[in-house]
Amino acid sequence: MSKLSRKEIAPSVAFNTVKESRFKTMRISVTAYLPLKKETAAHNALMSLVLTRSCNKYPDFTELSRKLSYLYGASLSSGFMKIGDVQALTFSISGIDDRYALNDDVISKELSDLLCDVIFDPFLKDGAFDSTECEQERRQLIDMIDSEFNEKRVYAKNKALSLMCESEAFGIKRYGDRESVLSATPEDLYKAWQNMLSSARFEIIYVGDSDSSIACDVFDKRFNEIKRNPQKLTTDIIKEAQDVKCGNEDMELSQSKMILGFRTAVAEPEDTMAARMMCAVLGGTAHSKLFCNVREKLSLCYYCSSSYIRQKGIMLIESGVERENIEKAKEAILGEIKAMQNGDITDEEIKATKMSMANAFNSNCDTVGGISGHYLSQMFDKEILTPQECVDRVNAVTKEDVIRCANMLTLDTVFTLTGVTDEKGEEV
Amino acid sequence: MDIKEIKSASLSEKYYKVKHSSGLTIYVYPKDGYNSTYAIFGTKYGSINNTFKVDGGEIVKVPDGIAHYLEHKLFESEDGDAFSRYAKTGANANAYTSFDKTCYLFSCTDNFEESLEILLDFVQSPYFTKETVAKEQGIIGQEIKMYDDSPAWRVMFNMLMNMYKTHPVRIDIAGTVESIAEITPEYLYTCYNTYYNLNNMVLCVAGNVELDTVLNIADRMLKKSQYHEIENIFEEEPDGVLAPYVEQKLPVGLPLFNLGFKEKAGEKRVDEKTLAYSEILLFLIASSTSVLYRKMMDENLINASFSYEFFEGEGFLGTIFSGESRDPEKVSDTIKQYIDELKVKGIDSEEFEIAKRATYGDAISAMNSTDHIANILTDFDFSDRELYTYIDAIANATIEDITERLSTMFDTEKTTLSVIKND
Repeated sequence: MSKLSRKEIAPSVAFNTVKESRFKTMRISVTAYLPLKKETAAHNALMSLVLTRSCNKYPDFTELSRKLSYLYGASLSSGFMKIGDVQALTFSISGIDDRYALNDDVISKELSDLLCDVIFDPFLKDGAFDSTECEQERRQLIDMIDSEFNEKRVYAKNKALSLMCESEAFGIKRYGDRESVLSATPEDLYKAWQNMLSSARFEIIYVGDSDSSIACDVFDKRFNEIKRNPQKLTTDIIKEAQDVKCGNEDMELSQSKMILGFRTAVAEPEDTMAARMMCAVLGGTAHSKLFCNVREKLSLCYYCSSSYIRQKGIMLIESGVERENIEKAKEAILGEIKAMQNGDITDEEIKATKMSMANAFNSNCDTVGGISGHYLSQMFDKEILTPQECVDRVNAVTKEDVIRCANMLTLDTVFTLTGVTDEKGEEV
Repeated sequence: MDIKEIKSASLSEKYYKVKHSSGLTIYVYPKDGYNSTYAIFGTKYGSINNTFKVDGGEIVKVPDGIAHYLEHKLFESEDGDAFSRYAKTGANANAYTSFDKTCYLFSCTDNFEESLEILLDFVQSPYFTKETVAKEQGIIGQEIKMYDDSPAWRVMFNMLMNMYKTHPVRIDIAGTVESIAEITPEYLYTCYNTYYNLNNMVLCVAGNVELDTVLNIADRMLKKSQYHEIENIFEEEPDGVLAPYVEQKLPVGLPLFNLGFKEKAGEKRVDEKTLAYSEILLFLIASSTSVLYRKMMDENLINASFSYEFFEGEGFLGTIFSGESRDPEKVSDTIKQYIDELKVKGIDSEEFEIAKRATYGDAISAMNSTDHIANILTDFDFSDRELYTYIDAIANATIEDITERLSTMFDTEKTTLSVIKND
């Protein structure tokens, strides 16, 4: 079920199909992978937003939106993220399946054409993007960057990662930096667009019931009109932390945040399943060590969980904690890791974590977006696995594997966002 | 036991509604080809139900935040918490409390029967002692503090506190550190015995599931509840808002706003048609397709975070526009002016057609998700609505219906603007 069939249509351009009749919707996404660099990250991010705002055929934003709404509320969007030291720009379109149209509209064909128009045939003026269009998207991207500060949990995590990876490409934010967003010109964006078309690696994923060969032909034709010169994409791995980096910021908050960053030495394209399980046993579920012991038994943190960035071999532990408990919480968290390193893991914990991970892999594939995401996240892995194959790998991991991975953890960074008090000595 | 099969020709799907002999209403919505199953066991009891009468007896008033507290406590029993029981089945479990309901849920791909047994068991097995109640105050206190730091949460509750004078929708769902200190095992048992009566509850299961499987487990696990008449008591709420503007300073990168329109709530929850028309009208007014959205974008007033919500429950009704803006007051003025003008010049037929198709498409797309299906069935049961009737009401809506809805939905004299900005 949910198996991917893959076809290379141009150098480093693959068209992937997942045939699914279970859903009421279909989705096509096109992801461009480019090296994550300080000079280009902001241009790429802003360019991706400008592209989905309009196109030559629908040069006006409202006109394009109305066309989408008319197609039963189809949605067109772009996004940017980091996958290791790679910047990924995703353009996607989704809408209801042809079967559910109120008349005999062939929605799938219209959506494929529209997505191609947006990527290959943008609204241009004198060899550059339109400056008014750029200004609108620039303002919105700046707003998005500024509002990252609003949710302190996300803010603290980003600060910790920037500190931890300050000398690595991964330390660059997914949108580059604010200054470069402000200074990007319509010509810069045009160059970024041309560079993407010729040099990025592309993965197109089609999830739906209608015949995907029509869409495949459309993309095949468009990509073969371009001279392709794909760039090499790599990710640096730091296997072991040297000195522990510490950072702190004071802020008027009721609840402080603490983030711990670790290096694990296990990263893609090596097999990372054992490290992922180690992370889940520690703090990935509601029956994990951090949840049961640090949150529930000790009442030290309202949230305390771990996540693993498998392309970089980085594990993060995030927690929300009262200021006076920061040190206690840190000791308790490190204590749980020490226990795992000494082999203090029960068979029940292993079994429960395996079931929980299997459940996540299987349920993920009950949504169109989940299927797309499942495959997109694996594009830099050693091999591309179906959800069931992932479950089989999970089940093959042993307790000894988990202990071995726990022993590879080295603490790299501690970042705290400390809630400060006012003159009355009360937390504000 | 009474079993009804409800079908939709346009979706080629169906679901079952069962009135079980225990008193519980059960919905089962099978989805062909799905791996996962999503189940909700919910009670029609949320943060607004803080004053009530049972079978015409004495009026009972309980501390704020108790429904949410009860949700936390039910996860524990004498022999460990529910999470550790689910750990043995692999299900992903959770619970939430809103203004008018408390829901316990899980999703799973294997061991569905065992997980459903756990769900039905722990929700029917209250266990509250002085010690366990005291212990929870630490964790919930931290949760309340986390929400105090959340600008998105604060901006909404500040708006509600200034829109409503008496209705408890103005009170934070988790209560305050002070109000939860008053909670005792006796209060918890009173609320539990009142609202966790199976006649006041619903079980909704969607996904990879068959009716008989659910009914067999229900027959075995459910303890018959004697029906009691519950009367929720709300003080009279004036038509107007308490205050038109409220502001709070918090560390934010960009100011946040909520603009609420207050509408007079009826005795009953709104029906399928009113809900459908409200959603179409809101799409027409404020979606990214709309003239208003475009105007505010071009004037640099809003960004992609702009959104809207039809906000409706027992005794409260309205619309909330929210987002980030460097000039929230101008946003508020622009929205109100646009609505007043729209009332005069009428709705454009092409805009109506687009809004209707998009709302219909959204409703259909949402049926992909077992999570959405289980949640909407729960919500619709508690508000006396039926799912397919709602989808049909969207498909059959006319411009006259929407025009009529416009005349009552927005009173620009009854609004509250809430803003969070930096010092």
